[in-house]
Amino acid sequence: MSSPTQPAQYGFAERWLPRLVLAPSFLLTLIFIYGFITWNGYLSFTSSRLLPSFNWAGLTQYHALFALERWWVAVKNLFIFGGLFIGGAMAIGIALAILLDQKIRAEGALRTIYLYPMALSFIVTGTAWKWMLNPGLGLEKLMHDWGFTNFTFDWLVNSDMSIYTVVIAGLWQSSGFVMALFLAGLRGIDDSIIKAAQIDGASLPRIYWKIILPALRPVFFSTLMILSHIAIKSFDLVVALTGGGPGFASDVPATFMYAMAFTRGQMGLGAASATMMLMTVAAMVVPYLYSELRRSRNA
Amino acid sequence: MGALAIKNVTKSFGDTHILKGIDIEIDSGQFLILVGPSGCGKSTLMNIIAGLEAPTTGEVHIGDRMVNNIAPKDRDIAMVFQSYALYPTMNVRQNIAFGMETRGVPKKEQEEIIARVAKMLQMDHLLDRKPSQLSGGQRQRVAMGRALARDPILFLFDEPLSNLDAKLRVEMRTEIKQLHHRLKTTIVYVTHDQIEAMTLGDKIAVMKDGVIQQFGSPQEIYEQPANLFVASFIGSPSMNFIPCHLAEQAGQIGVSLQSEGEARFVPLPNAAKLAGQVGKKVILGLRPEQFDAVENSENSLACKVHLTEPTGPDTMVLTQLNGIEICARLHPRDAKGPGETVRLKPDMTKAVVFDAETETRLA
Repeated sequence: MSSPTQPAQYGFAERWLPRLVLAPSFLLTLIFIYGFITWNGYLSFTSSRLLPSFNWAGLTQYHALFALERWWVAVKNLFIFGGLFIGGAMAIGIALAILLDQKIRAEGALRTIYLYPMALSFIVTGTAWKWMLNPGLGLEKLMHDWGFTNFTFDWLVNSDMSIYTVVIAGLWQSSGFVMALFLAGLRGIDDSIIKAAQIDGASLPRIYWKIILPALRPVFFSTLMILSHIAIKSFDLVVALTGGGPGFASDVPATFMYAMAFTRGQMGLGAASATMMLMTVAAMVVPYLYSELRRSRNA
Repeated sequence: MGALAIKNVTKSFGDTHILKGIDIEIDSGQFLILVGPSGCGKSTLMNIIAGLEAPTTGEVHIGDRMVNNIAPKDRDIAMVFQSYALYPTMNVRQNIAFGMETRGVPKKEQEEIIARVAKMLQMDHLLDRKPSQLSGGQRQRVAMGRALARDPILFLFDEPLSNLDAKLRVEMRTEIKQLHHRLKTTIVYVTHDQIEAMTLGDKIAVMKDGVIQQFGSPQEIYEQPANLFVASFIGSPSMNFIPCHLAEQAGQIGVSLQSEGEARFVPLPNAAKLAGQVGKKVILGLRPEQFDAVENSENSLACKVHLTEPTGPDTMVLTQLNGIEICARLHPRDAKGPGETVRLKPDMTKAVVFDAETETRLA
């Protein structure tokens, strides 16, 4: 009863317990993630409207999707939001991490303050920022009350600018998290490397730019992955902050999908847009995973 | 010209006094060792010399400049760290070139220097590798190469061999010494290893609790330790410390050694320094190699062997004198087995005597 890799004294329980413990989550993952991905993929090739139907419709839904202006607004918004959100959170987070790494006082308290927004859900963040950015209620009214009557800040209700309010709220929420990741990375760097560079005559910015940040490459990539998937699937923040409006000016693919599939009775179209989102994520994650796995095999 | 002078340097963090008034001066081309147990302040002193930390009071002179207010990069020094401190994302060539780039050395000159350093340290084949692809010894070599490329007036080595295995450590030790002979640059070298200190140094500063216990040549420190701490720290196996009382017999000052119920009076050298202190409690210091095994001599004591530790060329014999465990380094031919008796004759000409109270050396 013993396989060559396992000592003979291992009993039935020892060999089967790990599998038994893992089985429920494995089953759930199989059904609710991969099963539903498959079902969604199938639905996107059907003519489903209010309810799922199984009439094969080929690529009709994709043709309809690509012809829809609202979809392209959502895609464009995703690029605006994703680019600014990832780039901005990364820049602010790294800057905060470097500043916090200068052996300052009350670092623990400051770190907590910057990290706190992460503890809120995007819904809370979105609602709070909606009040602050609301021209009749928040910042603009405050400035008017103070006497700056020419001050206008109506991005929330301006269809050209509303997506940028989502960026602001997203940055507020996630920069502290990026900071925490990079701070951990900075702490892992040997102090004497910095000393050596100082003796070599490098200025502090040069030390960070040429030596420390390149050494944080793995942190950089993990952060990029986390931020990208937050950006692509961002839904709650947009819903709470702008509701995709004015009109559909601040729609992103996730809100587009939700609107089509669940409020406008275009389930096939929604499924097609969901598949497009999955493909986008896969296009980024698969090469990353591949390179990471290959590296760990080589190591 | 003095290459390095440290004048009454202190360093405190609040009420914690790390360095309590350090004075050291060495000549150009000398190899200075700072040695001491962990927490003695030797690394802090090194950082102060490098300019990575500022002294609380006192002055540091490198060459003929007072460098207290000069940044590390302008002190014309190079430093090798215990953890090597190689820049992880750069290959060996870039690691060596980084400092030169920063100082604006022309590209062509950089290449010449890299080639020269690589040849000197026999690491031409490593130039395009990343630090993570190098072994500990190779990383050490690169760290030294980076320091050599600078061609400074002062090299600082901060426990450079501590992370290497025993065999490699001995090899690199020899290599560092050869390098020093060749380059004749002043070196300050921090270590906690007394063998490194003895083998490498022209001058050794033995430190403890932020105070220099003794500053002198290796031989001075070995033969005339200033106090009990220096005597016990330098030398392996450690010096034997035998508590006894000063006595006078037939006009000679000496001490009484006892073993196996037999007591023998042994006169001390430098008796003049001990005059008038008869009866005082002292500690007699005898190094293991200062015992000879003899057949039947006037001045020997019969000692029962507890344990033997053969090292090859010598055998360490553990026995007792005055109720204290002592170690004698004997020729294997003379060493007896455990339980047997060996007659030991101490060589009193090199014996040292410490005050039992103050622990400083009396004679």
